[in-house]
Amino acid sequence: MANSPAFRVLSTLDESASHAFIEPRKKIYDSQDVSAFLTSKAYTDIMTWILQLNRSMFPLKQADNTTQAWTLNSDAIQYSAPIRQLQQLLSKLQDIIQEVPPDTGPRRFGNISFRRWCEVVESRASDLLRECLPAELLQRRVSDEGATAETELKAYFLGSWGSGQRLDYGTGHEMNFLAFLGGIWKLQGFPKTEPGAEERAIVVGVIQPYLELVRLLIKTYTLEPAGSHGVWGLDDHSFIPYIFGSAQFSPAITETDLTPEEGSLPNVPEPSTIIQRNIVDKERLTNLYFSAIGFIYDVKRGPFWEHSPMLFDISGIQAGWGKINKGMIKMYNAEVLSKFPVVQHFPFGCLFSWDHDPNAVPPSTTAHSTSGPQSRPVAPDGGAPDVAAARPMPGAGTQAPWAKHGAGTQAVPPMGSTAAPWAGARREAVPTSRPGAPGAPGALPILPDTSRMPPGPMSPTRAPWSTQTRPPPSQDGNADVPTKAPWAK
Amino acid sequence: MSDLDRAIEQLRACRLIPESQVRELCYKARELLIEEGNVVSVDAPVTICGDIHGQFHDLMELFRVGGDVPDTNYLFMGDFVDRGFYSLESFLLLLCLKVRYPDRITLIRGNHESRQITTVYGFYDECIRKYGSANVWRYCCEVFDYLALGAIVLGASSELEPTNTGPANVPIEDSELETEVLDSSGHVTMSTYRPRRRAFSNASTDSRNISPPRDIAAAPGQTGVPSRTGAPGTGASGDGNGSAANSRTGAVLCVHGGLSPLIDSVDKIRLIDRKQEVPHEGAMCDLLWSDPDEIEGWGLSPRGAGFLFGGDIVKQFNHLNGLSLVARAHQLVMEGYKEMFDGGIVTVWSAPNYCYRCGNVAAILELGEDASGGGTVARSNGEYGRSNGIMSDSRVVSPGRRYRVFEAAAQDTRGMPAKKPVADYFL
Repeated sequence: MANSPAFRVLSTLDESASHAFIEPRKKIYDSQDVSAFLTSKAYTDIMTWILQLNRSMFPLKQADNTTQAWTLNSDAIQYSAPIRQLQQLLSKLQDIIQEVPPDTGPRRFGNISFRRWCEVVESRASDLLRECLPAELLQRRVSDEGATAETELKAYFLGSWGSGQRLDYGTGHEMNFLAFLGGIWKLQGFPKTEPGAEERAIVVGVIQPYLELVRLLIKTYTLEPAGSHGVWGLDDHSFIPYIFGSAQFSPAITETDLTPEEGSLPNVPEPSTIIQRNIVDKERLTNLYFSAIGFIYDVKRGPFWEHSPMLFDISGIQAGWGKINKGMIKMYNAEVLSKFPVVQHFPFGCLFSWDHDPNAVPPSTTAHSTSGPQSRPVAPDGGAPDVAAARPMPGAGTQAPWAKHGAGTQAVPPMGSTAAPWAGARREAVPTSRPGAPGAPGALPILPDTSRMPPGPMSPTRAPWSTQTRPPPSQDGNADVPTKAPWAK
Repeated sequence: MSDLDRAIEQLRACRLIPESQVRELCYKARELLIEEGNVVSVDAPVTICGDIHGQFHDLMELFRVGGDVPDTNYLFMGDFVDRGFYSLESFLLLLCLKVRYPDRITLIRGNHESRQITTVYGFYDECIRKYGSANVWRYCCEVFDYLALGAIVLGASSELEPTNTGPANVPIEDSELETEVLDSSGHVTMSTYRPRRRAFSNASTDSRNISPPRDIAAAPGQTGVPSRTGAPGTGASGDGNGSAANSRTGAVLCVHGGLSPLIDSVDKIRLIDRKQEVPHEGAMCDLLWSDPDEIEGWGLSPRGAGFLFGGDIVKQFNHLNGLSLVARAHQLVMEGYKEMFDGGIVTVWSAPNYCYRCGNVAAILELGEDASGGGTVARSNGEYGRSNGIMSDSRVVSPGRRYRVFEAAAQDTRGMPAKKPVADYFL
């Protein structure tokens, strides 16, 4: 290990080698496919990318024995040209909200104008990406016929904003944005600097503005939390601010220190202060964790411990922000990346490849059993379904595939089975608005599949077993005639 | 005081009862529920409630607004659990009330009363957190399997007894009070009237002067608040003047979700073998999962279970079964209730400020007793095929409907609990 880099970073694509970019495609159709995903190159890359970004947010011990923390308003973080371009991209997306004000007409919950916002973004996506990213990056391809890198980046870019069809947003969309940024990294779209410098600029300069834009979208168009557990999940919409925000308050490290697994930076707020509004209002300006907590206070009414019991319990952790950070990464692995409902529509191409990672360690068998399609309904006296029987055992998981690569990276056993706030499932294709001709599902207009997530509490509960479009009630085959009840004259 | 009364008292205070008592309670509840048919017959007057989702303090507010059990006869249309913080307290209290006053409270099954759904949407986690094991979750799920799938309300009056609040208004001549909306302090905020029906009157006399909200208009800047018009007050006697009309009030089918393409008559619901986990498809699944929609015929449901059904389906189903109304829950509506398809179906939603953030009000629906003493006519009992005659002759009058709308309970009185051990990820 002595001569290898201490901490693994996402590998870039070799410019000389040929990479066959393709239109990214869905690969995960049932729970078994989640096992394959957990040993795919894409999974290793996404987890590596998150750990790389996470480590960059830990405060840094300086040569003069001082400590440099990375706050959201830190002058010590330099924004490279690509990061400033991405900020402009986000700002242009925000401007589109002005063009598409929320609809004032009748609605059930989510605002229909969000659908229009998504359409505008999609129609301008290529132009927006070309304004923001260098042409030589976007136009990379193998042959004249093949897809360009732009094709792949655009899929993740468009998947990052929520579902225009269901008017919701969740961690699956958040994951797409991470893939979009990771894709740019792989295409060497970010300058090479000292370790961590560009990464923390990405978190503070791009991811936080992204989260703020998403919160604006959620509030403007009353987007529903995708597939939420209600009070029994971590957060209705987001996960990564809790990872990066807890890293900001963790103990300082040198470039070669192992990533701390407990303790806190001196003089940062205690985890328990998340229930104090005055502290939250102050800290949300500089810390991603408190920024997310602050948004919860913005949108929820009621006692914090009651509407957010999981965050409340976590605020009682005595072992510091480092402990919380480690737990958040484990939880992200189990509750986001290992959950069928979340990852099922993540598209795979060349940047994030479905190919088996030869170094991958097989995940534990219970990692992904939750809420995926099951071959048979649970029998009435069958007791708890698998999900209920297998609770995560501390330390009992299989070693994470990336654990062996870097001495200091955190081992994250892919353990599953706690039901996730965003758990649930969505069918592959639903009628856009009025399925007037359910006799012919194939003929139904289907909106671009930009969403990965089931809708949340404000919208109808979705069946967790739902993945495939099921045949309509009538099979009369006449697509032009509305289906009638069997007894209808 | 019996153990059961003590348990009720304890749960009303939002304190859980011991696991052994839960086990006993669930056993008793099952013995009771197994005797109920798939479609329970309920006599008006009755107060119909929609989704609760573990919002215990709001359930207490519901009882405050609608009256206590057993003084008020209640019908809850399922989704007692998941998402809220107090699914256990809410469901166990309702179950205790059911065992204590079986004839004064009816519980039917929602799509969340299911093993698979509760493991995904929170109730399972809540049981583990509050009892430390899955035992109580298992007992509750066994009760879920025995809950009825629907209810038929018989003997509802076509005309409401006006609520005497505010200044007495002159009633609209020869009209009867059809719907009334009250706020949580009992003040009338909206009333609608319809011409008093006479025997053999034409079916097209439905000319209410105000429509109840048919769609949600809660966007800012819109005056979605219905103004009070009409004449609640003296005059419009509700004590049987229109006995001929009253006796024509059709039955009301209550079901959590909606209709099924496999169910053309209420009797077909009675044939289902219901004592099982909610299946992924089929009639039982549809009754708990489907939604009405502004379509013709049937459509695919974006939920991935059940179907969408249009106004034509509802009209036909009501007509063939002698029903005047389908009452269902299952969908958040910002104003607490929403009538669709010329009042052929209503959604009732009873979880205010859903998930602490939706800003919606909740509602319950009161159906009054037909004071004419005649009860309902034979064709109104939900049997199939009684009314395949001429439309105008067989059309049944919808019951008078009083909606009580209420907001989320005040939250300042709830003490902060101790923090619980965190999830294993953080150990």
